[in-house]
Amino acid sequence: MRFSIYRFNPERDSRPTMQNFEAVVGPHDRMLLDVLLRLREQDDSLTFRKSCREGICGSDAMNINGRNGLACITPLAGLKEPVALRPMPGFPVIRDLIVDMTQFFNHYHAVRPYLVNHEPPPERERRQSPAERAKLDGLYECILCGACTGFCPSWWWNPDRFLGPAALLQAMRFIADSRDRATAVRLEFLDDAYRLYRCRTIMNCTEVCPKGLSPSRAIEHIRQRIVKEGL
Amino acid sequence: MANPSRRPRFLDVTRIRFPVGAICSFGHRVSGVALAIASPLLAVLFTRSLQGAEGYAEAANWLTPLPVRAALVLVVWALAHHLLAGVRHLLMDVGFGSALGTARASAWLVNLAGVAIAALAVGALR
Amino acid sequence: MRAVASGTRAWLLQRLTAVYMLVFLVLTLGRCAVDPPASHEAWRNWIGTGGMRVATVLFFVGLVLHAWVGLRDVAMDYVHPLALRVALLALVGAGLAAFAAWMILVLAGL
Repeated sequence: MRFSIYRFNPERDSRPTMQNFEAVVGPHDRMLLDVLLRLREQDDSLTFRKSCREGICGSDAMNINGRNGLACITPLAGLKEPVALRPMPGFPVIRDLIVDMTQFFNHYHAVRPYLVNHEPPPERERRQSPAERAKLDGLYECILCGACTGFCPSWWWNPDRFLGPAALLQAMRFIADSRDRATAVRLEFLDDAYRLYRCRTIMNCTEVCPKGLSPSRAIEHIRQRIVKEGL
Repeated sequence: MANPSRRPRFLDVTRIRFPVGAICSFGHRVSGVALAIASPLLAVLFTRSLQGAEGYAEAANWLTPLPVRAALVLVVWALAHHLLAGVRHLLMDVGFGSALGTARASAWLVNLAGVAIAALAVGALR
Repeated sequence: MRAVASGTRAWLLQRLTAVYMLVFLVLTLGRCAVDPPASHEAWRNWIGTGGMRVATVLFFVGLVLHAWVGLRDVAMDYVHPLALRVALLALVGAGLAAFAAWMILVLAGL
C-alpha cells in the first residue's frame, strides 16, 4: 500500500517535505494505525501519537487524504492511494504528524470546563433527572482529539482568539448541565466578536468528528441561549 | 534545541478536501464581497433609470454591451447563491436542517440552484 | 466583565436586515418578473411614491448595515495587523455611509 507522509524534523529540516512509503499490509490489519505502526519497522524516525487504538483517547488525530480523522478507527478498505497523511491543519507542527496542542487546551480551559455550583453540597449527590441528563448527550462524549478545530477555517485564521468548535462544544456541555449555576457568566464570556462569533456555521467540524458529535449545533444552541437571555 | 516559534503549520488549502457545506459557505462569502462591490454600480444604474425618459433609456443602453451583460450574469449568480445560502443559514438558526445529512443536501441544493439561476440569466440576457 | 465588541448585536443585525431584504427582493423582483412596469413613468411612479419609496429607503439602509457586518467579518478573519484593519474598516464604513446617504437623497428627491 502506497503512502505519502508529511515529514518534519526540527533539528534537521528547515521546511517540511512529503516522503513516499510502500507498506506491506499484514493479514489482520484493518485500520490505518495498524499499517502506520508497520511503517515504523521500515523507518523508525516516523513520529506520530497513538495510545488506545480504539478511538477513545484522541491521540492519533491527523489529516488523512485531506480530511481530519483518527488513524486507529479509519479503515484501510476504501482509502485512496497513495494515502496522504499530514498533521492536522492550523496547529504548529512539533515533528512529523505530531502537533502542538497547547493553544487548543488553553481554549478548553478558558471555558471553565468544570461544574460551578457553590450551593452547600447535598448529603449524597446533586440530583439530576434522566431528562436533564439527556441534555448532555452529544456533548459529554467529546474526546478532545482536535479534529474539528483543526478543520475549521475560522479557527485557522484566528487560532489565538476564536475558541474553536471543541472548546465551544464543551462550553455548551456545562451550560446545558442542570447542576451548573454559572450559566450567565459562561454566556457573557462567550458573547464576544472573536471567542464565539467567528463561527460561520461552515460545519466542517461536524463533518469530521470521529465520535459523530455536532459542534456546529452546540454553537447554534449557545447563540440561541445568548439571544434568549438577552431579550 | 529547536525554536518553538519556528514550527510550521500545515495550511495548504489545495491539499485539504472540503465538504460540500464548506464550498457553499465559501461561495456565500465570495458572493457577498462581489455584491458589496457591485452594489454601488447597480445603484448608479438604478438611479439613472429613475431620471425621466432619457435616464431610463440611457440605463437600458448601459446594459447592451456584451461585457456588461456577462458581468450581470455573475451578479445574478452572486445574488442567487448569497440569498439561497443565506436562507439556508436562517433556517439552521431556528433549528431546521442542522443535522449533517440534511445540511449536506441543502448545501448541494444551494450550490446547484445558484448555478442554474445563472444559466437562466444567460438565456434571458443573450 | 462585558467584552467590548458583543458579537450578538452584529449577528442579530445581520440576520434581521437579511430577512427584510429577502422579503423586499422577493416581492419586487417577483413583481418585475410577473408584471413588469410598462414604461419609465410606471417604473418611477412605483418606486418613487408612498410605501414603496419608504420600503426602498429601508432596503438600502438595511443593505449598508448588512454589508458592514459581513465585510467586518471578512476583515476580522483575514486582516490581522490592527492598524491596517482599523484603517480598512474606517474606509469601508465611510464608503457605506456615503452610499446610504446618496441613496436616501436620490429617493427623497423623486
